[in-house]
Amino acid sequence: MHTTRSSRTTLAVSSVVLCLAAAAACSAPSDKSNSSSGGDSSAPIKIAVVDAQSGENSALGAWEYKGAKLAVDQWNAKGGIDGRKIQLHLFDDKGDPTTGTNIASKLASQGYAAMIGTAESGVTVAMEPTLQSAQIPNITSGQSPQIIASKDPFVFLNGPTSTTYDATLAKYVIDTKGLKKVAMITNNGSYGKGEHDAFLAELKKRGLSPTTDQVVTTNQIDFSAALTTIKKTNPQVVFIGSEEVEAGLIVKQARSLGITAPFAGAAPQGTPVYISTAGAAHAEGTIVSSPYLNNEATAQSKSFAAAYQAAYKQTAELHGAKAYDGTSIVLTALKNSHVATGKKLADAIRATNYQGLLGNFSFDATGVGIFATKIGIVKSGQLAAAS
Amino acid sequence: MQVFLQTLVGGLSLGAVYALVALGFALVYRTMGLVNFAHADVLMIGAYVASTFTMSEHLPFAVAVVAAMVITGLIGLVIERMLRPLEGKDFDLMLIGTIGFGIVLEALATLIWGATGRAVPSPVDTPPLHLLGASIPTYDLVVVGVAIVAMIALTLFLERTRRGIAMQAVAMDYDAASAAGINVGRSNAIAFSIGAGLAALAGALVGPLLYVSPSMGGSIGIDGFAAAILGGFGSIPGAVIGGVVIGLLSSFSAGHFHGYSDLVTFLVFAVLVMIRPTGLFGERTVSRA
Repeated sequence: MHTTRSSRTTLAVSSVVLCLAAAAACSAPSDKSNSSSGGDSSAPIKIAVVDAQSGENSALGAWEYKGAKLAVDQWNAKGGIDGRKIQLHLFDDKGDPTTGTNIASKLASQGYAAMIGTAESGVTVAMEPTLQSAQIPNITSGQSPQIIASKDPFVFLNGPTSTTYDATLAKYVIDTKGLKKVAMITNNGSYGKGEHDAFLAELKKRGLSPTTDQVVTTNQIDFSAALTTIKKTNPQVVFIGSEEVEAGLIVKQARSLGITAPFAGAAPQGTPVYISTAGAAHAEGTIVSSPYLNNEATAQSKSFAAAYQAAYKQTAELHGAKAYDGTSIVLTALKNSHVATGKKLADAIRATNYQGLLGNFSFDATGVGIFATKIGIVKSGQLAAAS
Repeated sequence: MQVFLQTLVGGLSLGAVYALVALGFALVYRTMGLVNFAHADVLMIGAYVASTFTMSEHLPFAVAVVAAMVITGLIGLVIERMLRPLEGKDFDLMLIGTIGFGIVLEALATLIWGATGRAVPSPVDTPPLHLLGASIPTYDLVVVGVAIVAMIALTLFLERTRRGIAMQAVAMDYDAASAAGINVGRSNAIAFSIGAGLAALAGALVGPLLYVSPSMGGSIGIDGFAAAILGGFGSIPGAVIGGVVIGLLSSFSAGHFHGYSDLVTFLVFAVLVMIRPTGLFGERTVSRA
């Protein structure tokens, strides 16, 4: 039935694509020449947000879009860039790499200046070749080292890579806290694999090996076997490399099996979705490595959180902040380069030094701009800075 | 030993969930000869409705479950009514119709509750029981119990009541059943709404175990469908046994093959179906779909 579902999804997607193509056919010629050449100085600048709006990772997609839209709205309110308005278009990649590549081709043919997203490393990796050949700069929220391995000059990260997240985490857990008996549970998706390799490398660096190294699938529901094995090795801390919902389910089941050791992980383990899926009591004490712990850290994050609250009646969090930073960097680069496109815009992004919510961005040749995270602990259902 | 026992417990409670899903597939197939591909999406609606009643309206869990079953039962009636013009004409079209309804339900859920989904707190808070070093979550026992009761109730309904026997007759021979004075339309409507109610029951029960989102039907639907096929499609006890087998297969292959567990589970499934094409309790009385 999975094939039926995906084929029916494909059917639905292709019919939507057909309709869009038909609608775009009338307006495409003028649109394309305007934004790709930058010739018409009054046409809006088109920026795409590609993120899951449906499926298990849609929470990420919704947060990302809100962050990106907030940045664009603020710039438009100030008159746009060189008198031109910025138009943000949202595409739903469903967290699926195949859908992502279809969208990449669409962006290439419709004259988008830049792309924000995606939140899933796997989708970004799939979209990269198409975006690279179309010369569309892309600021992704993915963090897998796989993204930068391609040395694609058009891809940038709006946060640190898994290597940075896990180096900080290992330093705190092993060096500062002295917890040397570490069990690992990660999933076999792009994100989980990146976390697995990065954290294992940190353990090896210290001459340690995990008490057990459990790998689960991305859509697994029952973790009894993996968790019982972990329990038998009696670890002091369990490293978890999985997205919000699955990580929440793992922790919930672990507690019911009597595992009392704290869990440690990267950004997903600091989100409200993780905490509510696990249950606040079960998530208590989770050690989180994240570049954005909460909205109270700086004056800048406070004003971002206030604007976010005013616009969406919701509390801002990491993913919105990352997308806000990424979008602000693209807009700053567009302003500095007087609305350049293609390679020139990519160079302008690389040259942009930006003081963001996550820290000071200064991009290297691989497209990474941030090289530090902070350590937070989940306390009473909230992420707080570790003392 | 401890790992084996715990995996067994995990597999059995997972199996109970799949069994409940498979029961709905099996009922509609047995009484109409139709595979209802909207089943997993009705399950998702049931999970949302039940969790809305418990979380926002603070109704007791049992009341919320019954309310969810009634509401999805009505949705089942609507689906059947809209597909009725196709009954007795072209079952393939009806099959496609159910796929369409599935997509509509998923889109509706996204409109009403948003795409993000929600975590549902467990309605049973008592600590897990311990047996020979394995821990058994009390809520899992509830799920297993409900699955068994549902199986027995369905079997009694189909085999011991006039209505149930008439409904099975419809699937065996549409024309003969109408000639014998059975109201085929009504019979199908009842089948669809009981099937939808079962889906809601499964959805309401898995909500607290998993995460409720518009796309949650996807993987549960596949496994539940596989369970129904494995048990012998249309067989009520078969659906339950099939569910338990798929649940145990998933849990044990997860323990042994880690990242490749899905591959192994469905390879074993494929081999089992090749050996016994009619499933474990195969009695394919229906040849219409």
